[in-house]
Amino acid sequence: MTTTNTADAADAPEAPPLTGARSVLDLKDWTLELDFEDLAWATFNREGESANTLGRRALEEFEQIVTWAEKAAADKSARGLIIMSSKPKSFISGADIREFDELKTEKAVIEGIKKATDILDRLEALKLPTVAAIHGYCLGGGMELAMACDYRIADKDDATRLGLPEVKLGIFPGFHGTVRSIRLAGPVNAMQAMLTGRMYRSGAARGIGLVDKLVDSKHSLRWAARKAVLKKQKSSGASTAQNLMTKWPARGYLAGQMRAKTAEKVREDHYPAPFALIDLFENFGDDERRMKAAETRAFAPLMISDTAANLRRVFALSERLKSQAPKGLAKPQRIHVIGAGTMGADIAAHCVASGMLVSLQDLSEDALKAAQKRAKKHFKKRLKKKTAVDAALARFVLDPKGDHVPRADVIIEAIVEKLDIKQKVFAEIEPRMKDGAVLASNTSSLPIEDIAEGLKDPGRLIGLHFFNPVPQLPLVEVVKSPVSRDADIEKGCAFVTAISKFPLITKSTPGFLVNRVLAPYMMSAMEKYEAGTEREKIDQAAKEFGMPVGPLELADQVGLDICMHVAEILGIEGGASEGSRTAKLVSAGKLGKKSGEGFYVWESGKPKAEEKTYKKSELATLGKELVQPLLSECEACLADDVVADADLIDAGVIFGTGFAPFRGGPMHYLASTNGVKGTSATASTNTNDGDTTNDGDDDKSDRAAA
Amino acid sequence: MSEQTLRRIAIVGGARIPFCRSNTLYADMTNLQMLTTALQGVVDKYNLGGALIDEVTGGAVVTHSRDWNIAREAVNGTTLNPNTPGVTMMQACGTSLQAAMGIGAKIATGAIECGIACGTDTTSDAPIVFSKKFSKRLIEIGKAKGTGAKIGQLKGFSPAELAPQPPSTNEPRTGMSMGQHCELMAQQWDIPRDEQDALAYESHVKAEEAYASGFMDDLLVPCNGVYKDNNIRADISKEKLAELRNAFERSDRGTLTAANSTPLTDGASAVLLCSEEWAAARGLPVLAYMTYSQHAAIDYLAGRGLLMAPTIAVAKMLDRAGITLQDFDFYEIHEAFAAQVLCTLRAWEDADFCKEVLDRDAPLGSIDRSKLNVRGSSLAFGHPFAATGGRILATLAKTLADKGGRGLISVCTAGGMGVTAILESANAAEKQIDIPKAA
Repeated sequence: MTTTNTADAADAPEAPPLTGARSVLDLKDWTLELDFEDLAWATFNREGESANTLGRRALEEFEQIVTWAEKAAADKSARGLIIMSSKPKSFISGADIREFDELKTEKAVIEGIKKATDILDRLEALKLPTVAAIHGYCLGGGMELAMACDYRIADKDDATRLGLPEVKLGIFPGFHGTVRSIRLAGPVNAMQAMLTGRMYRSGAARGIGLVDKLVDSKHSLRWAARKAVLKKQKSSGASTAQNLMTKWPARGYLAGQMRAKTAEKVREDHYPAPFALIDLFENFGDDERRMKAAETRAFAPLMISDTAANLRRVFALSERLKSQAPKGLAKPQRIHVIGAGTMGADIAAHCVASGMLVSLQDLSEDALKAAQKRAKKHFKKRLKKKTAVDAALARFVLDPKGDHVPRADVIIEAIVEKLDIKQKVFAEIEPRMKDGAVLASNTSSLPIEDIAEGLKDPGRLIGLHFFNPVPQLPLVEVVKSPVSRDADIEKGCAFVTAISKFPLITKSTPGFLVNRVLAPYMMSAMEKYEAGTEREKIDQAAKEFGMPVGPLELADQVGLDICMHVAEILGIEGGASEGSRTAKLVSAGKLGKKSGEGFYVWESGKPKAEEKTYKKSELATLGKELVQPLLSECEACLADDVVADADLIDAGVIFGTGFAPFRGGPMHYLASTNGVKGTSATASTNTNDGDTTNDGDDDKSDRAAA
Repeated sequence: MSEQTLRRIAIVGGARIPFCRSNTLYADMTNLQMLTTALQGVVDKYNLGGALIDEVTGGAVVTHSRDWNIAREAVNGTTLNPNTPGVTMMQACGTSLQAAMGIGAKIATGAIECGIACGTDTTSDAPIVFSKKFSKRLIEIGKAKGTGAKIGQLKGFSPAELAPQPPSTNEPRTGMSMGQHCELMAQQWDIPRDEQDALAYESHVKAEEAYASGFMDDLLVPCNGVYKDNNIRADISKEKLAELRNAFERSDRGTLTAANSTPLTDGASAVLLCSEEWAAARGLPVLAYMTYSQHAAIDYLAGRGLLMAPTIAVAKMLDRAGITLQDFDFYEIHEAFAAQVLCTLRAWEDADFCKEVLDRDAPLGSIDRSKLNVRGSSLAFGHPFAATGGRILATLAKTLADKGGRGLISVCTAGGMGVTAILESANAAEKQIDIPKAA
């Protein structure tokens, strides 16, 4: 039985053909129909794609629609133009990212942009009412198109999201969307939307002014749009108070604040787009005409930059990871987790927060109670609303005896890393499981095939290797032993995407991919520390390169004992050898964040690093030295077929370690710095739906861009 | 006119959302959302996306005026064929069972091939309205021309008019709540507190066991992140039940408590019924057949006991079926209150009552209590008025499919009415019922 959580069905055609309307243009990606009330309905339904994106042809056809509407306005043959979509989850998901790579020069970008801005400027200037009726994703270029209409109506469906996420791809809105968003939402809201790339539910979008009217269901969109056209409704735009903020001196003050806030998250030398956007606002924020021209001028160099190309690559990689989960598999609903330690408890809580029913099994009542307490905190932070938190707590079932095993769709073991104990647990579970359920171990150090040895059906066991902290890290390694069945690996991937994470299929070799490449990197950093380099310098250098945290701070977060354990499994010497500073820390019980002190003293979750400044060139050189072992290990992993190809190494290392996304991944970085071939320039986008964004877990997008 | 034969009424099965105590996990939901989710649950369970259903019938007891067409509106929110009609109707706590009876009758006569009976209720989203006086004033202000005239309509206004009128489920003619009425019944029939508590205890234990065994899994569709009814107490103890204070009658005479009465509950349910031909054509299972149904009312204003009408409906239905009260394998007697169930059973055993009210020379007799509410009932699951019939239909149909046999459904309603039905498994229906099969 498949069940649905939403009250409204999502996959029915959104806008069935209008009764009694006649087609007035022969188009492929759009239909344009005129009904008997003389309302013109432009329905976007891009041919051969599951999502609507503004590709070249779609845009050219839309120009024809605008041209037709100009004529119809002049001879009064139409009373208004309504723009809708008939895709189930996509109004317009954005520009077609796949076409971006063809633009090699600023001149080409400016020419391409001019076509689009001309069309939208003409749409805006149309002498008849224009309405965007929005269901599904309305993002980036799609949001820019909607903003060029007189009025925007959105439904309250869960699938409807609006936003301007361009900054995540190293650019900002380029179809004059910077100007229009400020006009509609005011500078504070609009700049925040563009700087964070946040995706808004329709209610929130209405709150900031990107949407003018809400309707309860998608069925009401057409009727509300009709009414808006007949009443010639126009957006009222941002309030006077908001508009005052575009004037000096408020504008300068705002820009300064935005710059400071953005700098807290990303560095200008790594991610120039948000800073360029703030400059644009500061210089031209109260002059629409000049801002439009300046938008294009500032946009072009960003668009052809390596950073933008690499961020597009990262996006394509994320789509590729998601595509490993076959579509059409039933979404797992009941998850059974064995082991209420940190990992087990956090995996359980994350699954619950993703809407699943989770039973958590552990021999220790205390561990279960502690897990429940932690989970409650997590739910409060993530779900906020009391009913949602209460429902989540009800889905978090403490199951000391494992009564829920027979009903679970996915069973994940996360107990102590001891082979005989794991085997014993699996031997007990296997006969009680239901057919077709996924059986997985969260082991980080034991070969899956060894754990599977005692099973009647060893082929069903897979690894699902989560990273700590579970809520933040977007990657899960799906580990395939020599005997694991492909069907079970696929189901594992489907489960991982169902909890909004990226699956990476890896071979069952020590350390899989992520730990294997991280360990030598961290160990060599410890070696440098041992040799006398200051810890602050090491960590600053790694950040200079683009790592999200320095290796010593990371080691503290992971736990020094665990680092040493992993190093031992992987047979890495040095760094933490006997008598080293690291080994002494461990024997003194200074294990890092969890014990309050490691390389750093930790206070309220933050390391106390000293304020030190080093020469940028020194940091750059040291940064490159620090990542060298990681890069070499990546090459070794490729040679060992740990994952299928170099692009997947990049995907795994970016999403598993936070490796500088703007550099496009370790293998890509190697290729671009040494001229070594191996990765595609942008990672083939073999995705089929080209959504410009994933489902909006802001946590993981933060590491990609502002 | 061609000769008409009656056809059997097949129950394919049902789905419901988990029931939740009011103002808890569904506090932000509306009747329409809950009903739509339950309906979509049936659509998904039986692969009915795009299917034209001949009618979807049901409603809600506590309802906003905007939901005047809720059954049809719920259809519009599902993946059912948009040409599926919806009939909004209501018979208090018997709503979804009565809906199934109406659909069943039309299936039997060939008027329709299939239908979905459904019901929903929430007291978390109850309509709160202005007093009649103030509502009228608002209308007059709307009608008045000119600001002066409008202000004139406020003459004599008192802030007391603004006091909101909360919805009431009290009996309009007695001004008493269900609980107060049932308290009277318990006193009339001398039902001791411990018997009521014992029934409540068993209900929770059996409901929890139904969950633990996985029996409930395919009867439920998750809603708003909820997978399980939140009224069931897995840790219920007889001692704790005994400690509770009286809920309706504070004096020593009182026996009803919060635990042996159903709480205000939010929830929705839906059940698919059809002809055998239709089920076969779509490859759907038939869990059971609805072979008889009956409703009745009792003159509660004269003091017979508000919730005693099922005794009459069952007696009539047994006569029509030509069987006795003992000829059942399962009894699903809706536990509005433990006392209601116990009074009903006591009345059937009572020669005077059976003579005076049911016009029978001999009492209907006792039932085998081990066959009563074997999967728990409303005391454990909760009781979202209009949704309860659908819950019971789906539960009993599944039980009969598993175990075979014949089951009795009895639901008491506000206004002194009772709605009842007989369900039979395929074998039992073959054996017992001599309705001619369609040629």
